[in-house]
Parts: sequence; structure tokens; C-alpha cells
Amino acid sequence: MKRLGQHFKTFFHSYSEIFFLQSPVAGAFLFLVTLTNPNVGIAGIVSVLAAYLFARLIGMSETFLSSGFFTYNALLVGLSIGYLFALGPLSLFFIVIAGIFTFMLSVMLNSIFFYYLKLPILSLPFVIVSSIAYLAAYRYSNLYVTGLYAHGETLSLDLPFWLEGFFVSLGAILFSPNVLAGMLFAVVILLASRILFLLAVFGFYLGATITGLMEGAMVSAFLQIYNFNFILIAIAIGGVYLVPSPKSYLIAGIAVAVATMLLDAIHIFWANYGIPAFTLPFNVVTLTFLYVLGLVGFPLVALAVRHTPEETLDEYISNIHRFRGSFRKLTLPFSGYWTVWQGFNGTWTHQGSWQYAYDFVIDKEGKTYRSEGTRLEDYYAFRKPVLSPCKGRIIKVISNLPDNQPGVVDKTNNWGNLVLIDTTLGYFVELSHFAQNTIRVKEGEWVETCANLGLCGNSGYSPQPHIHVQVQATAQLGAVTLPFSFHGYLEAECFVANDLPQEKSRVQPICATRTMDFQTAFILEQQFTFKALQGNQLVKTVTLSVRMAIGGETYFDSGKGKLFFAKDEHSFYFYRLEGNDPWLSLIFAALPRLPLVYRQGMTWEDVPPVSTISFGWQRQLYHLARAFYHRIGQVHYKAHWKAEGLIAGTLQSGFRHQDLPLEVVLHSSLGFSQFRVGERCLERQEEK
Amino acid sequence: MTEDKKPYVKPTIIKLQSGLMNKFGASPYYARKVRTDIDGISIDKLVEQFGSPLFVFSERQIRNTVREAKEAFTSRYPNVTFGWSYKTNYLDAINAIFHQEGSIAEVVSEMEYDKARRLGIQGKDIIFNGPHKSLQALKKAAEEGAKIHIDHFDEIDDLEKVADELGRDDIQVAIRLNLDAGIYPLWSRFGFNLESGQAMDAVRRIHMGGKLKLIGLHCHIGTFILEPDAYKTETEKLVGFAYQIEEALGIIIEYLDIGGGFPSKNKLKGTYLPPDVGVPPLDTYAEKATEGLYNALKPGDFPQLYLETGRALIEEAGYLITTVVASKRLPDGRKSYVLDAGVNLLFTATWYKYTIETDREVQGIGEPALLNGPLCMNIDVVDEGTLLPPLKRGTRLILSPVGAYNVTQWMQFIEYRPAVVLVAETGEAELIREQEDLSDILRRERLPERLRLA
Repeated sequence: MKRLGQHFKTFFHSYSEIFFLQSPVAGAFLFLVTLTNPNVGIAGIVSVLAAYLFARLIGMSETFLSSGFFTYNALLVGLSIGYLFALGPLSLFFIVIAGIFTFMLSVMLNSIFFYYLKLPILSLPFVIVSSIAYLAAYRYSNLYVTGLYAHGETLSLDLPFWLEGFFVSLGAILFSPNVLAGMLFAVVILLASRILFLLAVFGFYLGATITGLMEGAMVSAFLQIYNFNFILIAIAIGGVYLVPSPKSYLIAGIAVAVATMLLDAIHIFWANYGIPAFTLPFNVVTLTFLYVLGLVGFPLVALAVRHTPEETLDEYISNIHRFRGSFRKLTLPFSGYWTVWQGFNGTWTHQGSWQYAYDFVIDKEGKTYRSEGTRLEDYYAFRKPVLSPCKGRIIKVISNLPDNQPGVVDKTNNWGNLVLIDTTLGYFVELSHFAQNTIRVKEGEWVETCANLGLCGNSGYSPQPHIHVQVQATAQLGAVTLPFSFHGYLEAECFVANDLPQEKSRVQPICATRTMDFQTAFILEQQFTFKALQGNQLVKTVTLSVRMAIGGETYFDSGKGKLFFAKDEHSFYFYRLEGNDPWLSLIFAALPRLPLVYRQGMTWEDVPPVSTISFGWQRQLYHLARAFYHRIGQVHYKAHWKAEGLIAGTLQSGFRHQDLPLEVVLHSSLGFSQFRVGERCLERQEEK
Repeated sequence: MTEDKKPYVKPTIIKLQSGLMNKFGASPYYARKVRTDIDGISIDKLVEQFGSPLFVFSERQIRNTVREAKEAFTSRYPNVTFGWSYKTNYLDAINAIFHQEGSIAEVVSEMEYDKARRLGIQGKDIIFNGPHKSLQALKKAAEEGAKIHIDHFDEIDDLEKVADELGRDDIQVAIRLNLDAGIYPLWSRFGFNLESGQAMDAVRRIHMGGKLKLIGLHCHIGTFILEPDAYKTETEKLVGFAYQIEEALGIIIEYLDIGGGFPSKNKLKGTYLPPDVGVPPLDTYAEKATEGLYNALKPGDFPQLYLETGRALIEEAGYLITTVVASKRLPDGRKSYVLDAGVNLLFTATWYKYTIETDREVQGIGEPALLNGPLCMNIDVVDEGTLLPPLKRGTRLILSPVGAYNVTQWMQFIEYRPAVVLVAETGEAELIREQEDLSDILRRERLPERLRLA
């Protein structure tokens, strides 16, 4: 039964994918609408089934198929053939082979596109196969004789042309070019995503108006069936592959304008061969735009496309604040509070090829030295231990250069006494200006993070004792530097997970305590039962199981939803919520990130997704507003250690006047004893 | 215009010297020090307001010193916590300053423990040391989650009794060790000896008992230690022992307490060099102690490091203002001054040769002088021989540094103990301990009715 349900889910997914939705319910509804024209609808089913069964035949695993990703093109091809030919043995055969071909092409193109271009295939396989099928059909006289499908009269409502045009072209996406189907599709889209709906409207009217103005005939321009290309472009660029934002909409608008030209050109050209334009303009324009945007590193390109643009947006806004920095993460190479003297692209020496470097000094009330600063011993940084910022193999050590007197630099040996570490991750870390003969490591030695490398000094191009650290691309001295970031440090007692400290800021590395590391070491299949309380009233009990997804990601499964978590060297954090479980939202909101170290007075901030504290229509309203201005309703999370194992804090959102108080109690051995946000609370039940 | 009249100078007797300069460097004319104020408040004003003798502490000096000390360690090792050694000076105001600066409390008796708790320090922020802890004190400390440092095997028994009483098997403890850090004297009467294997026996004993949880190691190698390398030896040995325990019994040692013993900038009697030259700076101790840690610790393993520094943090912040009550000439020709403060207030006078400053310029050349206190005892000598110009009665002498141990070890013997004043960072003098009067002495006395006179 469950298996059958899974098959249906896959099947319906094929329908919803066409509108960039990942909802079997929406898919089922779309499916039903296509059945209003049984010939088209059944052709669609046959094609999808053919593709699906073939996929099973060649042993494709269920996980790949369940999304509907590889079958929606087959569906479109089926619909397109069903639109042309009445169902019969011959046409069904034709549909089956076309469906299978589409599937093959989908898999092949996807592999090529993904690997070489980092692009989705959109409905390119459909365009190719349908064009081929239409061309081939010219020779299939037998098919024409028996099976050209005569479309009956469809219900026509007396709508103004600009409204009728919109619905008809929306319906035409699933080969149901009539007002009623279009209206139903519009309802589905509206219910699934307001952003997509608005984009559909925007795309259609922009494209149709431009065409109308160019052609000088508004009515015919609006009633053109292929206007759905504009709708799809606006949706794909404005809401799906780019994060919804006014800038994305502008780009989507430009893409639509480009497509008007393309559509007309294709029309003229293709018509010679009697092939409809299908979604070719949409594919060409969208792929071109996405490729270029990806190439230039456009910041609004969505890194992960979620079920709806609303979810993508929520995750994006939250993540750009939550996960900063880079993947080349270093630990600050010292102990205690030091001050950033020079950062990336610094004023003095961090320039050009060597711009990605950091210099640190110890600064007290604006001075890096006591008394006059004429002796090296006056400098606070002098002879302080330098700790390894990463693990790796020591590949070069220079240790015998003298320390310069303050204000004097050694221009011959720029890098001074140094240690060069091969991280084995494809980049090298270099630290400079050690005190003479204080380096404790040898070439060839393996060091762990925080190992003592030597003492800070004033050798090389260094006017005052300081630590210089840079990441470089190769093992040569003076090689081109690469961007990196620091992880796990305190800035003004506020924990920073991964970022670049500003110049003049005071920073201190932290190291996770072993006890807290154990407290968050969850093992698969462990279960935790919580009492869910609203005020003092018991609402239900929630059981969380630790599970692992196919990609190796771990999550808490409540049965109704999945809350994904991960751990790095310094913190335990939640990063994604799937499904709709308000109690998992509560956990996410109460503790988006847990630094694995207790320090009195330590604080940390976070930006959990808006969906963790708002529900129902309110959440939808936030999403819609944020689609136009990202900062609206931003959730600000602030927490601090009230005592060891006890976290207190607040959640503040732009829409709310009052801060929501929150409290988290850590369990003494593993996990959490309590989460409280406002009135709602989860209390752990101790297993007997 | 009239010529200024030369001021009268009292006659002095000094031994004539010729030839080489005297090796002590103190010439009758030059090594003369004058202090007219403490942190901006004049000595006159202080005495006028609070009387003489008077202990004065500088808040700015305390905070600067503790910050520098913390900096010296935290900039070398990530997990450092200072424990303020109560016995050094446990006036509430002084304790509060250290606690404000992030220090926890280090106490060595039930009295000190109670004092810390009363001040609002939580049990978990108290290190409970000392060879004598009553059962009652141990129970209280265990209940409140204090860091109890065990000194002897009998204390293990006591604590297990407490665990039984409380129905617990997770009382967290540390053990005090003594070890050879290459210095003399060896403080072997505290804790368990490392080299003889006694310490390992204690660890096994605790482990076998199953009622206490060993989480820390503590060692205190001595006091006023002038050899920084001793701390390197100490930390290396401590870490080595911690790993030995982990290997043998799987017990993870969460913290190391390396005690105190850092010297202050005071001049020990019989030393040749002035303290600024002879006493290594705290940075050197920090460098050596952390070098030992880095030598012995596995990379990335940073157990919590506790320090119980007392003397080095408070000594130089304390001054004693005293007044010359009388002067006399001794039969051997030396001058003797009678002061209103003596060894009753200056316990540390036994070891230290204090810096002596006058509150005003005094004319005349210095002559050897003896400083005596107010006690009717022959031992009441603050300084056995120093060069002072002839002092008039009423001249104030400022003795320093006297911040450590004196206001805890002072005695009430025959005199009232004087007021203690704190010069705040804002420049105001605040009274932190009132001068005693008879009621303080009588408060605990009970006169049986039958002995009442008239």
C-alpha cells in the first residue's frame, strides 16, 4: 500500500514539477484538470508510465525517480502527442516510445548539464522530443488517417481578452488551452505559492504588452497561446532559480523582454516545418540567463531550490546571515584577546596577490606596547605563543632570522621566521614573523590545530611584533594568496561561528569543551521524548528520533517533520526544517546554534528562518512581504549563558512588538532537557 | 629683598666613609623617597580623615595588576581562571574587586568559605583547599558544588562519609599533590607526593571508593619563588600525571590548578638586588608555566588552568601610613624612631625590607636608624637599620608594599587595629574597614555576674 502510494506520489510530482512545485497534492489536482480533455490526459499518463516503467526496467533507484524530476518531460511529450492524435493502438505506441526517448534524453542531458554547465535541463528534452515527434509524424500517414484528434468545443466564458489570454496560455502549459483549465491552474499556483502566482501574472502581462506594442495589435498579442513562455520565464528566473527579490524580478523582466524577440523569431522559423514553438524560448532564455548569472557569481542565485520560492527565500535570508565566512576555515592562531591590525586588502602590505592575509597584535587602550615601546619586550605580543590555525604537515620552517628592533624592517627576508603548513585540503597556510629560534616544529612533522608552533616575534618585514597568517594556493614562499575565514571565536564576548573580523576588532579563539562535545554527540536511532506544553497545559508528547538522510545528513524525526542538524569544531547547529511540525520549529527557534563552550558573559546571535516562529496565514504574509524587501520581519535571536547548562535569550522579529523570551536547558549527559519559547515549551521525559 | 633664612637642621651623627662607594648604594643624601599622596589623595588629608596608622589600598593598582596577570596567562593559554587567594587579604571590598575582575574564590578554611558564600560567590566558584576541613564544612561544600581539593587520605574517608550521607556518588574532587620542582624548600607536607607513588595511590583509592569523581589536580610548589623554571617543571609533571591517570583508569582530568607562589616586588631581607632587578616579571612565570603545558599537553587539549595567585596581585596596592611618635638615641649611637604601627600590623616585616617614604621633604643627611613599633616587646622592629634624615615628631612614614597577608595576619594585641581605606578609581577615599574600638574587643567577652566589680 505504502509502495503504491509512493508510486502515485512520484506520478503526481511529474505534474507539479512543470510549475516548479514539489507537491503531490498540487500535482494530483493538475492531473485531474488535464483529464478534462481525456485524450490529452490519458496520453500524458501513458507517457509517464512508459518512462517510469522503463526506468525501473533499467534499474534506476526509487530515490532518483520519486521526485518526478526525470518524468515531467515525458509527461509533457505525452500531452503534446495526445493533443495532436486521438488515442489508438498506433498513437499509444508512438506515445510510449516518445515517452521513453524523453526519459533517456532527460537523464543524459541532466548528467551533461549538471556536470559541465551546472544548469537544470528545464523542459529541453520535451522541446526536442516533441519537435522530433511532430516532424516524424509528417510521414506517419497511417497515424493521421486514423487518429488526428478533433478538439471539441470547450467552455468559453465571456472574459475580456487580457484575462482570457492569461488563463488560456496558463492552461496551454499542460496542453489544456482553455479558460477553465487556466483558471484552475491559477488557483493551484496561488494556493501553493503567492510569489509564483504574482510572477506568472507579471511575466504574462509584460511579455504580451511588449509583443502587442511591437506588433501593433494588442488583442492578438494577448491571445497568443505561446505567451506561456513568458509565464514560465518569470517564474523560473524570478522565483525559482533566483531568490525572490526586486532585483531578481528585474532580471526576470529583462529575460521576458528578450524572450518576446526570440518567440517571434522561432515562430516564423519553426512554422515552416509546422512545429509549434513549445517551450523553446523559455528554455533558451532561462538557460542562457542562468548560465551567465552563475558564471559571474550573481549573489541571488539560489544555492538550494526548496519546495516553494517562499521556502527558498526564507532559507536564503536566514543562511546568508547564519553561514558566513568561507570553507577555508582557520582557527585564530593565538590565545586570549588579540586585535586585528590589518585584514584582507589592508592599507599597508596586504595588497594585490597577497591581499588575503591577516595581521594580529595585542592592543591595550590603543597601544600595542607598554612604556615607550622602544624595546621589543615592551610589546605585548612579543614572545606570546603562536598556535597552529589548522592541522596539516609542516613543509617549511625558517627560524634563524633575528628580531628587528621596533620600527625597523628586514626588507630582504620579507616573511621572516615562518612556518608553512600543507593542510592537505588543497591550500597552504603560512604564518610569519616568529621570534628567533623559537619555532618548536620541524619540517615533515604533522601538527594538529592549536599545537604550539613557536613564539611571536619581529623578524622579516615587521615593524612591531605581530602574527601574520595567510592562505596560499601553492607551497612556494610568496605564492598567490586565497580568501579564507576564521571560525569559532569571540568578538566582544559574542560568539562568531565563521566570519572575517574587521580591522581593529578584538578577537579571541575559543575551544570546545569535551563535556559539551559529548552532550551533543547524537547517535542514530536514539530517541528522546518530550512533553509539549502550551502554558502549563499538556498538548501532546513529541518523540524525536535521530535519523540519517541519504546524503549523510542527520536529523531529528518527529514523524511530522525533520529538523536537520550538524556540528562543526565549535558548535552544534540546526540548519533546515522540513515538514510542518510546530514543535520542531520551537526547537529550531530556541536554539539555532549552540556554541560548545561555556563562558560566563558569552553571548551569541543568530537569524533563524521566519517560519520557526510564525505559522499559518501570518507566515505566508511574512513570506510575501519579504519577497519584496528581505529585511522585513527578520528574526533576531540573541542568547547568553545564564549559568552552566542554562541558556536564556530573546527572539525579536520586525513584525512583533514584544520580544519572545526563550530558555534552553541542556541535559547533563546528552541532549536537551527543556526548550521554551514564550508560552510554548518542550520538557524532556526521563526514561525510567 | 631679604635673603631666605636657612632652615634649622637637627644635628646627625654618621660614620665617615672614604674610598670605594658603599655596596648598598644608599648614600646619605640620595636614596631618599618622598610620597605626598596615594593616587592623588594627600597623605595629610587621609590621616586627617581616617587617623593614623592607616592602611590604604589603591583600587587602580589592584585592577591593573590582576588584568596584567590575567593577560600574561590568557594570551599564552586559552583556558585560564584566576582564583583569588582569600588568605592573602580577605576584606570584603578587596575580594569584591577581584571577583568583579572575573576571579573565583580560593579558600583554605571554613571561615573563608563562609565569607565567600556570604559575598554571593556560588559554591561552584569556590576552590576549597587546606589541610583542615571539618566534616560539616565538607558536607556544605559538597552540597554547594564547591571544588574540593583533598589534602590527605583521611579526607577521602571523610568525603566518602559525606557522599553516603547525601546519597550521592558524584561529588567532584581534586587532589593536592606535592612534587619536586627543583627548588628548595620542598613543600612536602601538603597533599600527596607524586614521585613516591603516593599520589597515584590516592587516585586509585578514590577510584575504588566509587563515591567521588576526580576531575582536577592541584599543586602549590611554594611561596615567593624566584625561579620561574620551577613552574615549567610543575606543569610538565602535572600534565604527565593527568595523562597517566587517564591511561590507567580512564579518568579525564578536567582542570589543573598550579597554585600560586609568584613573588611580589618586595625586597626580601638579605637580598642584594632591588626587586625590580632581582624579581623576574610575571610574564616570565607565565611563559615558563605555559611552556611546560605545551611541552606535555596533546595538541588541542586545553584543560582548564587555575591559578591561586595572591601575593603578586595585591602586595603593591597596599600602603601603611604611620606616624613618628618619638625619637631616641640608642647607646650604640643609632637613632631609633617609635612609630604608631609595628609588627602587630606588619606581620610580613619578618621577611621584608619595606620601602620607606616620608610625606614631606626632610632636610639633613641620612643617618642609620631603627624603626620600632608601639608594642612593649623587644621584637617590635619594623626596620633594623635604614638611613633616614632626622625626623621630627609627627612626620608620617609611608611603608610599602604591604598589601599581602598583613590585614589578615595582623593582631589586636594591646592596640586597636586601624582603619583600612580604599582609594577608588574615581579618586575618592572609601572606608572599607573601620578603626576598632573597645566594643569590638568586648563584644565576645562575657563577665560572670559574680566577678562584676561594684
